[in-house]
Amino acid sequence: MTTRQFFGTVFALESALAAFVFAVVAMLVCLAVVRRRAGARRRPSRRLEHTRPEAFYVAVLVAVAAFLVVYTARQNHDEHRAAAHGDPVEVTVTAFQWCWRFDYPQARKPLAVRADCRAGRRPTLVVPTGRPIRFKMASPDVIHSLWVPDLRYKRDIFPHHVNTVTLTVDREGRWIGRCGEFCGDRHHTMDFWLRAVSPAAYDKWLAQHAGAPAGGTPA
Amino acid sequence: MTTAQAPSGSKEVPAGNWLGWATSTDHKRIGLLTVATSLVLLLVMGVFALIMRGQLAQPELDLVLPHTYSQLFTLHGSGMIYLVITPFALGMGVYLVPLQIGAPAIAAPRTTLLGYWLYVCGAVLVLVSLAAANGSASSGWFSYPPLADSDFSPGVGPDLWIVGVVLSTTGMILMGWTVLWTALRKRTQGMTMLRMPVFTWSMVASCLMVIGSFPSLLAAMALLAAGRADPSVFHANAWNIGYQHLFWFYGHPVVYVMFFPYLGAVAEVLAVFSGRAFFGYKGTVLSLLVFAALSMSVWAHHMFATGQVANDYYSLTSISLLVPAGVEYFAMIGTVLGGRLVFRTPMLFALAFLPQFLIGGLTGIMVGTPVLDYHLTDSYFVVAHLHYVLFAGSAFGLFAAVYFWFPKATGVELGERLGRLHFVLLVIGTNLTFLPMFALGYEGMPRRVVSYAPFDGFSLLNLLASCGAAVLAAGMVVFVVNVLWTLRKRSLGRHVPAPPDPWGAGTLEWATSSPPPATNFTPEYPVPPVRGHAPLLTLREGQGEPDDRATLSGSRG
Repeated sequence: MTTRQFFGTVFALESALAAFVFAVVAMLVCLAVVRRRAGARRRPSRRLEHTRPEAFYVAVLVAVAAFLVVYTARQNHDEHRAAAHGDPVEVTVTAFQWCWRFDYPQARKPLAVRADCRAGRRPTLVVPTGRPIRFKMASPDVIHSLWVPDLRYKRDIFPHHVNTVTLTVDREGRWIGRCGEFCGDRHHTMDFWLRAVSPAAYDKWLAQHAGAPAGGTPA
Repeated sequence: MTTAQAPSGSKEVPAGNWLGWATSTDHKRIGLLTVATSLVLLLVMGVFALIMRGQLAQPELDLVLPHTYSQLFTLHGSGMIYLVITPFALGMGVYLVPLQIGAPAIAAPRTTLLGYWLYVCGAVLVLVSLAAANGSASSGWFSYPPLADSDFSPGVGPDLWIVGVVLSTTGMILMGWTVLWTALRKRTQGMTMLRMPVFTWSMVASCLMVIGSFPSLLAAMALLAAGRADPSVFHANAWNIGYQHLFWFYGHPVVYVMFFPYLGAVAEVLAVFSGRAFFGYKGTVLSLLVFAALSMSVWAHHMFATGQVANDYYSLTSISLLVPAGVEYFAMIGTVLGGRLVFRTPMLFALAFLPQFLIGGLTGIMVGTPVLDYHLTDSYFVVAHLHYVLFAGSAFGLFAAVYFWFPKATGVELGERLGRLHFVLLVIGTNLTFLPMFALGYEGMPRRVVSYAPFDGFSLLNLLASCGAAVLAAGMVVFVVNVLWTLRKRSLGRHVPAPPDPWGAGTLEWATSSPPPATNFTPEYPVPPVRGHAPLLTLREGQGEPDDRATLSGSRG
């Protein structure tokens, strides 16, 4: 998945850096604990400053920070640019207390996927692989958040505001989607399925279900 | 400043009288009341957390109702932040800053006392709100509208919660002002700004943030109150997102207010139990001030996923924080590397603080990176991160401070064996509870869920975290027993009285008796000459003027 690839690259890099820093600090603390115990009869140092190593250390920190900021910002921009490339499929997402409704404005006849998220009745959002999908998202009540953990992506959904996100899913499969922003007592049941199918299967699905009776739950 | 000035009102107060305690303008009493109140509330909030960890121990448990669970995490989060860690930090400042700078009293003591009582009233209201018909606030500690308005959270409970938060925050602002004023204006002769102890500097930086950012929470709460009177206020996106800006303009700096004083305490403890003055003093002071300044410009990194903020800018400021944070780590590690370490309980907590807080700091860089935050925000990864900062970090600093300054405040040391047991249980409990949460969040467990399904694959890690919480609880019981047992021994007179300076420390509070007299310093315990940021150490090592040593030994009798 395109999104996952950006997340994976940056996460791996920052984890490696973090592990390195943690190892160095842990090693130094252990070294101090083992070699500098009172029984070792060393006299405590009276040194108050080490100006040159400190200045060098600050310079290293600044360089690391600058690298991280620039590198991750580039990844962030590339991710969004890559996702926005191509002819998008539009899906209108309505997040409400406490479930989801997905509308396909490009279908020839009105097509809506809906469910109530009770007793395991989760709506299934069907999308094609390889094409960018533009989600236009709004809420009629409180703030929610569309989160597909396997896509490593979430975006908040506000009332009185339309948030737009473009993502590409590059392999077929079915993943759980959740509400990422606490939205009331049944927040934990607000799940949906994201199902990615081949473009041909997607067109077939669209044709099959267009104009489905209101209240139906296609797929 | 001279020691002749008595703190107003302190003379009429008979010792041991509860009314005397409740109305005393002695900064030491106000400080002790504040930290004692916050420790009691810590136990209450801990019980809430235990109920939540019990509920999450297995999938699909029905220990509590979803609405009860929502109130539990709201009160646990808001209580820990508004009523426990922030007040404890400021209470430490109220107690210690005047002593550390050689002042006889705090500036504006009645204002400080008012601050304490506002805090207590706020805490009472927050707890009382649980008894309201529809329960207390239930939309999380940041209570975003419109979920928190009266359409979606009806009832009087959330209103009581708002008033409680406003009162206690106002109390903290008053305390912040008096502590800052004390440090700036009441220093003893020779105590230049750059000779103030690291802890006092950490309080100065914290109080600057209190003054700069806490009023923003009052504004956010006023906006929320307006929305509860008339929910149509939040029928506009500008006010919904505006609330988030106001809230996080407070909500991020408060993290550092809840962290710096504990960092300062850890720095003092590390230096004392390494037998030396703190290494890299100037760099640390500068980095605290840089940190405080930067902290005011990072708030919207809590809002990357809203899609309505300038992600690049907030990522830049957030990641820049690693520079001052790194300088502080360099100084703390430099201190222990050149020291001669003594492993008493405060030192154990301070040493464990170093690697544990680091986990919180390093994962902070991850959540400050937008491309990662889109996945990690509002997941258990963030829950793990913030608990590594505030529990594995601040709470370990808190306990280092309690064990370190307990003999100064009460005249008797806490039991060392129980202290070590407390430490071991806390280290195991902390890491067993919060480490699995990183994996849970990475795998997609959202925060604030009352339950999860067996097929989610969260069961084993949640069980581990709940077991860790039980170990934490056992550790806290040991701590409570230690405190009560020590105080009981003291009240029976079967204790060994603590000398003025039981640890061989370096700062001025250790030059006076334990506990200190009403005016902090007296002719019997005069303020020693100040020629550095660890004046007593300078005197002991004979680096001061020839007549300085006589002053010190004379004062000890």
